[in-house]
Amino acid sequence: MAKFYDMDDIITDEEVVSVVFEKAACGVGIDPSSETDSVEVGSKVELPFWLAHELQLRQAVSMNVPTCFNQKTRLEIQADSACVDLRSRCPFFYEFGCKIAPLVGVRTIGPLLLSAFKSRYKEVLTKAHTAAFPAASKHLTILTKEETNLYEAAQSSMTAFKRWRMGGPRFQRASVLGRKRKSTD
Amino acid sequence: MAGQSDPHQSLFSAEEVEFIAEDETVEIIPNLRMDALNFICGDFGPFFPQIATQVPLWLAVALKKRGKCTIRPPQWMSVEKLTQVLEAERDSQRMFEQLPFHYVEISRLLFDHARDDIPDVYMARSLIEDIRDVRFHKVETNLETLTERAFALKINNLSAMEVNIVRPFVGRALQAFYKHDSLELIPDQERVSDRRPQVANNATRRHLRR
Repeated sequence: MAKFYDMDDIITDEEVVSVVFEKAACGVGIDPSSETDSVEVGSKVELPFWLAHELQLRQAVSMNVPTCFNQKTRLEIQADSACVDLRSRCPFFYEFGCKIAPLVGVRTIGPLLLSAFKSRYKEVLTKAHTAAFPAASKHLTILTKEETNLYEAAQSSMTAFKRWRMGGPRFQRASVLGRKRKSTD
Repeated sequence: MAGQSDPHQSLFSAEEVEFIAEDETVEIIPNLRMDALNFICGDFGPFFPQIATQVPLWLAVALKKRGKCTIRPPQWMSVEKLTQVLEAERDSQRMFEQLPFHYVEISRLLFDHARDDIPDVYMARSLIEDIRDVRFHKVETNLETLTERAFALKINNLSAMEVNIVRPFVGRALQAFYKHDSLELIPDQERVSDRRPQVANNATRRHLRR
């Protein structure tokens, strides 16, 4: 519950997962392709992660591996992880991976996340402290949300230091000072 | 407080680090006669004209602003010493030269407030800038070695400001590495190659005990 109010965590839960129903469900309109308001056994439906997770706990559905962790993405990450556009695949690639890995029972997701982060981390490191303009980098558009946070942490501490080095106003005037007192009469 | 840090970004802002640095002592030559000052951090003075004495940097700057003293720049801020340090920094890829923990802040304060007391002020200033750039580049190359196996990184002689710049980044990066290397995500079979030497070590140790 530590992340109950964490906005990123809530958005991560919204990621769509494809599931296969193992029990029939009546009176729910969650399958857009079915004609009636019920879901047949064995039908394939895309559900947000939070719902799929709850249903799986009740053994009503079984989860498939999401597309961002399939073989194709895996091969791309192995080939050149620094250039893969992970943001368009899944903006919370790492968080989502951590959440889904124990549920789908694919043991390779964990090592995939680690190796992807390890090689992409270097790219973030070399760009973060040197880039002149924070928003001008094209590199930023392929980073996931977690990597962007890392990048911005480095960027903001560097700009704060540069601002301090350049000087500027050393003392900030308190807002109560310098205000002219209104004459009462 | 004016320079207060954003609690989510880093522990200290640059202004706060500068504030801490103001407690370092420097040598001043006062031109006034004054009794000793008794502070919580210690007693300073008494002050006699033309007799050098040690005071904290903040007091030195305050006296300097009122024209009551000249500040003697510390040994390490001479041009010869800085040139030596810069050359040494450029020569070694891994090692950092020994400089005062607050050299970035102290030099900035002195350059701001006591320009006329420092010989070759432009030269010294650009040397310190160069040293800082070389060192920071080395910090970055050191950080590239961070992996899931390296839970910590030891860099000797790093200064306060340099640590402060990389702190938010390193903290988050280490956290991410730790998270993705946790036991639940990487099953034991994947680690077998790492475990084996450890088992071998235990076996030999037992053997020796017998």
